[in-house]
Amino acid sequence: MKKTVLGLRYKNLRIALIAALIALVSLFLPYAKAGESLSGMKLAVELAGQHAGGKNIFVLLLVAAVVLSLLLGLFCNMRPGKVQARVWVAVSAIQAACYSILLFASKSILDTSGLLEEKFLVKDFSAGYWIGLIAAFVVLYSAMRAVKIHPGYIVLTIMSVVWLFPILWIVLTAFRAEGGYYVGYFMPKGFTLDNFKKLFAENSVIPFARWWTNTFIVAVCTCVLSTLIILMTSFVLSRTRFVGRKGLMKVMLIIGMFPGFMSMVAVYNILKGIGLAQTLAALVVVSAAGAAMGYYICKGFFDTIPKSLDEAAIIDGATKWQIFTKITIPLSKPIIIYTILTSFLGPWTDYIFPSMVLGDKQNSYTVALGLKWLTDFQRIDTYYTQFAAGALLVSLPIVILFIWLQKYYVEGLSGAVKG
Amino acid sequence: MKFRKKREKTEEKNNVFSIFLQGDIFTKLSFFIWGISNIVRGQVAKGFLFLVLEVSYIYYMVTSGGAYLAKMLTLGTQQQGMTFNEAIGIYEMSQGDNSMLILLYGVVTIVLTGVYIAIWACSIYSGEQARLRKIQNKNVPGIIEDIRKLFDANIHRLFLFIPLLGILVFTIMPLIYMILMAFTNYDAEHQPPGNLFTWVGLDNFGALISSTDSLSATFWPVLGWTLVWGFVATFSCYFFGIFLAMLINAEGIKGKKVWRTVFVMTMAIPSFISLLVVATMLGKNGIFNVLLQQWGFTTEALPFLTNGAWAKGTVIVVNMWIGIPSTMLMVSGILMNIPKELYESAQIDGAGPIVTFIKITFPYMLFVTTPYLITNLIGNFNNFGVIYFLTGGAPSSLNYYKGAGKTDLLVTWLYKLTKDSKDYNLAATIGIVIFLISAAFSLITYTRSKALKDEEGFQ
Repeated sequence: MKKTVLGLRYKNLRIALIAALIALVSLFLPYAKAGESLSGMKLAVELAGQHAGGKNIFVLLLVAAVVLSLLLGLFCNMRPGKVQARVWVAVSAIQAACYSILLFASKSILDTSGLLEEKFLVKDFSAGYWIGLIAAFVVLYSAMRAVKIHPGYIVLTIMSVVWLFPILWIVLTAFRAEGGYYVGYFMPKGFTLDNFKKLFAENSVIPFARWWTNTFIVAVCTCVLSTLIILMTSFVLSRTRFVGRKGLMKVMLIIGMFPGFMSMVAVYNILKGIGLAQTLAALVVVSAAGAAMGYYICKGFFDTIPKSLDEAAIIDGATKWQIFTKITIPLSKPIIIYTILTSFLGPWTDYIFPSMVLGDKQNSYTVALGLKWLTDFQRIDTYYTQFAAGALLVSLPIVILFIWLQKYYVEGLSGAVKG
Repeated sequence: MKFRKKREKTEEKNNVFSIFLQGDIFTKLSFFIWGISNIVRGQVAKGFLFLVLEVSYIYYMVTSGGAYLAKMLTLGTQQQGMTFNEAIGIYEMSQGDNSMLILLYGVVTIVLTGVYIAIWACSIYSGEQARLRKIQNKNVPGIIEDIRKLFDANIHRLFLFIPLLGILVFTIMPLIYMILMAFTNYDAEHQPPGNLFTWVGLDNFGALISSTDSLSATFWPVLGWTLVWGFVATFSCYFFGIFLAMLINAEGIKGKKVWRTVFVMTMAIPSFISLLVVATMLGKNGIFNVLLQQWGFTTEALPFLTNGAWAKGTVIVVNMWIGIPSTMLMVSGILMNIPKELYESAQIDGAGPIVTFIKITFPYMLFVTTPYLITNLIGNFNNFGVIYFLTGGAPSSLNYYKGAGKTDLLVTWLYKLTKDSKDYNLAATIGIVIFLISAAFSLITYTRSKALKDEEGFQ
């Protein structure tokens, strides 16, 4: 009688074995058919003859993995055990990965090897490839389930690759030595820090340092003013009761439904009247002025602070001001950080309003305006790599800030939703 | 006893009319000369302040305000141009009326008048309070005590003063200005100071809805696409976000924080940067097309951003790339709060994963996130960034009015009308349309959420 191993699902082991067998068979089926048809095995043999370097290695690795996977499968089914099953999972992962990579690499492999009559396209893949691909993933899935590893990792890995792909691209471009936008390849041929240096050069066409400091100053000022205003407004609307409180909130709700840039022209004219047109101060003033409209989340948070604290303080003779400074603020660390973070990040990413206010005064541009200006079709070919470098310089601090304070961000948001 | 109670009841009805009726001669005087009531009862500083304010208002109206209000009716009659100067005998350039400034100053005057009416009412109330306290022989607070009260009972006045001032000047006033502008013909052909513009009533609205030229041929498709986009974008991100959150949250997955951080990165990068980057990648010679050809998927470049239908699909997909992480974050918090007992009892009853999802997870999720969904929906209707930075509203169509494109939302069209073609009146009209749509959906939320608050049936 076979010894049963706890933690292994036998049904899945058997399914995986069948799939591994199918995968091996598929190697002998036609792999690609463009002009003439070519089986997987034949391709591997030819490539081994040519030179086993570069992309060709994937085909050879694939054949090896399929064979090894089948052998391991037989072994695992005859002598079940956790260790060998896990090894099988690893091998089948390599197998599935190879099949997936070949989906993208086959064209270049087949075209350079000259084994097909016509140029290869993905639609020319034959049964051999597709059956093998599906079988490989079935093996992986079943093997994972057999060892009780959650197969969700497969989906997560694929999705992560998709998500990070553009980010990878922009990082590579920022360090790319050869400039230009119309390049026909993915990996840069040379790496350099020049793009970054060019941004900060003395007489550069792109006054990036100026843009960065402009945005930084505006962000800091806006952040301070906005946070104060939001805190004060939320406190009053949450903790005090006065005539017209509900009416005020309704009015602000209705005003908030108008698209913000509808009043762009009017605000611009008012600024011109005050004498602030085309200045950075205008950005700060207008952002601070409109800050109170964003009181919802903060107020929601304040609402969750128990009123009994306030009442106890009043009995002890505290004024509302003292309640504000000594009780409410110390208790609201998450929401204060959330408010500071969001109001600090605002000016870095705002494009519409600065574009309206600053027009063509380049020296006063914020980074958002500057970077968009760089992507204008006249300039994009010359400055693409610098655009990437600039984008990186702007994104990196923000990403770090964001991840560091992610805890507070989620706390602040979910506090409002629950309330 | 009863008599006094009845008196108190009428005194509680506290508006300007009742104050006028029950006050003494000084109260009635203070309706016309502000602050008299305060001064007589001992609040000299406060009353004097009101008086000064009144004088300043009268001065303003006499010197400029009144004139602007009068001109508001016609928005200027004299066009800038050459007029014959009899005295010297030559033609000279005369300034003419500037319609825009008239409208602007007119609105300023109206808003100022509103503010002063509020101050007037304030003075009436405070005068009445002083009078009542004097009658009841309580002390009438001086200016110093009033200031101290600002930190306690009246803290709302102190805290709200600057924010409300800011909102008044930079939000409410421009809004009134723009709403009024929707009823004028201030467009590219009527640019002051060279030209005048005037009231045209509801003509703009009519032109948008049904006209024979390209305007209405643009409005309806753009409106349709805005609505379609809003729903598709919101719900695609919502469902995939739930899927992703559930996947990461599942029991067997390790390193949840790492996975979440990977996806959150696209959220943390400022959206206009990631959008600009992706826009460059999707161009005709962008890296996507290059790679697709290298990998053998296609033989020629795909028109991601240049073909109408393709562009719409691309925009939705890219929006999912950005939007799914934020839904995932929000949903994760909620998922963790679903009581585990519900799942356990379902498992005991023999429910499979799909049934559990339909009957437990999803209804709970929907209940908690309905306000978020609606806010997100309205936000997507007005999602300027994704459309503008990705396609710029392109591809433009000759059938469309002056540069509007197939992926334009109402907001991006508004922006183009303002910045590029300077048709401010049309922009204002569209702004009002956007407001109406947002208001309609918000109203639906408001009534539905009120109904939901009474409902505990999901548990």
